[in-house]
Amino acid sequence: MGLDKLLVIGAALFCCGLYTILTRRNAVAVLMGVELVLNAANINFVAFSHYVSRVIGGQIFAVFVIVLAAAEAAVALAIFLRLYATTGTVEVDTADNLKG
Amino acid sequence: MLTEFATVLVFIVLGAATVALMLGVSRLLQPRNPTAVKLSTYECGEVPFGSSWVQFNIRFYVIALIFIIFDVEVALLYPWAVVFQRLGLLAFVEAFIFIVILLAGLAYLWKEGDLDWVRTMQETPPRKGER
Amino acid sequence: MFLGNLESLKYFLPELAITATILLLVAAHVASKNRRSAAPALLSLAGVGASLLLVGLLPGGPGTSLFEGMVALDGFAVFFKALTALATIVVVAMSMDSAELKDKSQAEYYIFLLSVLLGMFLLAAATDIVMLYLSLELVSIPSYLLAGYLKGRARSTEASMKYVVYGATASGVMIYGFSLLFGLTGTTHIGEIGRGLALGKATLPMFLAAAMVTVGFGYKIAAVPFHMWSPDVYEGAPTPVTAFLSVGPKAAGFAVLVRFFYTVFATPDAAAGMWKFSSVDWPLLFAVLSAVTMTVGNLVAINQKNVKRLLAYSSIAHAGYMLMGFVLLTPVGLRAILFYLVVYLFMNLGAFYVVILVANGTRSEEISDYSGLGSRAPFAAVALSVFLFALTGIPPFSGFIGKVYLFAEVINRGVYWLAVVAALNSVVSLYYYARIVKVMFLEDPRESAVLPVPAFPRAMLCLLVLPTLVLGVYWEPVIRVAADSVKLLAF
Repeated sequence: MGLDKLLVIGAALFCCGLYTILTRRNAVAVLMGVELVLNAANINFVAFSHYVSRVIGGQIFAVFVIVLAAAEAAVALAIFLRLYATTGTVEVDTADNLKG
Repeated sequence: MLTEFATVLVFIVLGAATVALMLGVSRLLQPRNPTAVKLSTYECGEVPFGSSWVQFNIRFYVIALIFIIFDVEVALLYPWAVVFQRLGLLAFVEAFIFIVILLAGLAYLWKEGDLDWVRTMQETPPRKGER
Repeated sequence: MFLGNLESLKYFLPELAITATILLLVAAHVASKNRRSAAPALLSLAGVGASLLLVGLLPGGPGTSLFEGMVALDGFAVFFKALTALATIVVVAMSMDSAELKDKSQAEYYIFLLSVLLGMFLLAAATDIVMLYLSLELVSIPSYLLAGYLKGRARSTEASMKYVVYGATASGVMIYGFSLLFGLTGTTHIGEIGRGLALGKATLPMFLAAAMVTVGFGYKIAAVPFHMWSPDVYEGAPTPVTAFLSVGPKAAGFAVLVRFFYTVFATPDAAAGMWKFSSVDWPLLFAVLSAVTMTVGNLVAINQKNVKRLLAYSSIAHAGYMLMGFVLLTPVGLRAILFYLVVYLFMNLGAFYVVILVANGTRSEEISDYSGLGSRAPFAAVALSVFLFALTGIPPFSGFIGKVYLFAEVINRGVYWLAVVAALNSVVSLYYYARIVKVMFLEDPRESAVLPVPAFPRAMLCLLVLPTLVLGVYWEPVIRVAADSVKLLAF
């Protein structure tokens, strides 16, 4: 499997993620889109690290992305739970108390 | 570079076209007479009951969140574990500090009661003479 | 010069002090019964104060690289560390006065606040994209929680939700940009990435990477079109947090923006005494971004009825002003940004401080409720007027000097259109800032009861008014420090 194929997979995943973020109204689904984007970057990092770079930096970066994505997801889900408890919905566009 | 991407583009277009063609042809050719039984989730055997959108206990999510945090932190320890013997004492101390900080987080969770499956809302002290 | 891990530790004391304070706060929270005691606030004041002192002791020598090239130790980083630590101290003092946060768990709040500070320290110094991403998230994630800190209030939670959705998206896109940069150069160190990119000519992936990274940084400094989160977050978050977000992470965002773009997409030209962009023609892009940012910020601010929301748009506009210095590729332009950030710290935190004091008394953040503040709380009203006029950029206040430096360099470099746009924007901003002053002094109060301003906030306000006034007439030392800090970045 060559570098270009991996990059295409990464790019496709990135586009899927961005599409999900832009079209979904459920906050949890948006978060899933973000995870797709992050994993697209991960694929890129690991692929580049294997084919282009002699240093291991890319793989280390991928590990950090995984860890931080989990941390971010945990915080985001906690916030969504709180939002659900206060307003009864996690739709992004029904949250419109703040406007102007 | 760009010509290579052009190959990719052709590939994507051809792939999409093939899928569209196959689905389209089968759509045209297939006989369609849906019945309630055919449309049920499991066509053979299982009779589905209730909705699949049941509410789970919120505690599942909290525990899952806590698990995932500590789970991925372990991912950071793998590279360390691989080269541990070559790095010697310094790396050991560094990893130790890392784990101590994680333990502080665990202590915090424990104190907050997020680890208890059944959350005690109010600690009622046992009355005198009652045991 | 790359220093190894152990040798770096002695230059890492400010960060270690903050980390130790955070761990102490966790321990205190776990051990203590009383959630509302003032001890965590005092502990964090002490911790941040100690760390500020340690920052002062750091040698500002030219570019030492710590931890095998992960973070830089240079005047630029030291400047931003001092700036953000100072902002945090003021915000801790504000939080102690805020009625919103009175009945909330104290230790956790300060843990988040100090985590953001730690992130900002690292962000200002990061020279490796791994470190950069890590510190950016360390700034972001606790910020999400801080924005939603008022549990019962739906608006606070909603602000938090919007913040996390936009923030996660922006950082995701940025990471993808980083992955492209890594692929193009095969290294994660930004200096080497810059050298790698300077060799080749601009290609589509390079431009794409630059654009994607801009999304992440633009989001942090709330530049249009990545500003959508900021008015909502600023309005919904507790006011001390709003004040903090509008100064701290914004300053850190500028630090990383300057360091990253000036290292990766520009090369210093020692003969000309300025930078030249090496691969992607980004200055024009950012000049347009700057003009759009200040225009949108100012125009939308005109119609606001909520003070916090108005200040949010005003802070977007100020990001636009500061971006002017960023596009010029000269040390003088960067010096103007640094000076403006110092001035902006005092005037913006001061304005939010008054908002907190008024909200403590009236439970309201609507501009209409500021009517007659001049007679109800003359001290606070006068202080707020000083801050607002300074934000407008009227002499003799410090904001004027800050703008003079920015404008002078823009005109000096012949970017006249940007200077004209900025000048027109300043006129627009006078309208909405002066409107608040008018409401405070010329309209009759709805209630006549005197709003009490206790002694401690009064002293703090004095401490914030003083620099705002003094820097308007005697700014020489600060501009010299700013100039030194910039010099150490590259030359």
